[in-house]
Amino acid sequence: MTNVLAIEQLTYKHNLKTILNNVDLTLQTGKIVGLLGENGAGKTTLMRLVTGSAKGSGTIAVCGDSVAAHHKSHVSFTEQLRGFKSNTRVDRVANFYRLVYPDFDGQRFEELVTFLQIDTSLKLGALSKGMKEKVVIALTLARQTQLYLLDEPFSGIDSMSRKKIISSIIKWKPADATMVISDHYVAEIAPILDEVVIVKNQTIYAHKASDAIREEFGIGIEAYYESLYEGSVSHD
Amino acid sequence: MQFDDKVPIYYQIKNYLYHEMMTGQLKPGDKLPAVRQLAVDLTVNVNTVQRALGEMITEGILESKRGKGNFVTMDEPRITQLKEHLVMEQLERVYEQLHALNLTDEQIIESLKRFIAQRRQQND
Repeated sequence: MTNVLAIEQLTYKHNLKTILNNVDLTLQTGKIVGLLGENGAGKTTLMRLVTGSAKGSGTIAVCGDSVAAHHKSHVSFTEQLRGFKSNTRVDRVANFYRLVYPDFDGQRFEELVTFLQIDTSLKLGALSKGMKEKVVIALTLARQTQLYLLDEPFSGIDSMSRKKIISSIIKWKPADATMVISDHYVAEIAPILDEVVIVKNQTIYAHKASDAIREEFGIGIEAYYESLYEGSVSHD
Repeated sequence: MQFDDKVPIYYQIKNYLYHEMMTGQLKPGDKLPAVRQLAVDLTVNVNTVQRALGEMITEGILESKRGKGNFVTMDEPRITQLKEHLVMEQLERVYEQLHALNLTDEQIIESLKRFIAQRRQQND
């Protein structure tokens, strides 16, 4: 099995404050990985470092390529559409993606739009929070890449939208691509995670297979995560 | 399907499929849905479904036909054997719990008989 992501000795400081310190992380191809940690733990920063939008010290190789400028072509990241005006229609945003990303698959996007019941004639400003997140997911999954980074795709949206998004992840994730989903609330996505990576104390505090956690400790992913934050599970 | 987060998911998928076979939802020779379809139906990871199916193929409960998919075995004795195994697994749990209450084997049998008699009355 090959690695889609290899991070070594990554440190990132912002305004003299250390956000991430000495991070090592290797992810294999074909996995769904939960990136868990408190608000402010550095999950979004880690994703931005992987896409090349932020720069730290250390090395990050995506598909064996450690040139940061190349990463955007290997990585599909859930951008929050902040760069678009609120009167831009969803189909215009899709056209922009099609122009900017050669790997944007229009057919896949249409399928996702149908599945997620998105009205692409609506303007961004008219979208509810759940609908906006669905649009972001459709745009992100319509790209055919090796690594997908979904930054808190479920925060603050209704449970029906959550279920739809989870189903679309299972349906559209290419078999050999890896998907990282960050969240601070794990219960709903726990059944779909191959592995969990826990960010704590400015570094990767734990990285373990989900079913190994259930087998070794006899506890759920959420309980494991909470226990690490409370420090009641001893581990190596 | 609702999963118990404390129990490995691949194990729960296996139990779900065993259950489908025991209740006749899946009959000998039936084709299983495609791996990704099963993953979507159960809201689980494709890799986890693959692990569950892989183990069931090793156990001889499923047969994988190249390019065609996975099928429930036509080997009836193997299915009977599986049913026996599932029954014993349930009984083991009950047996251990009753033993922990200091019941003797004879008392366990008597209790079970009384229990079944009571259930029959309730259902009549």
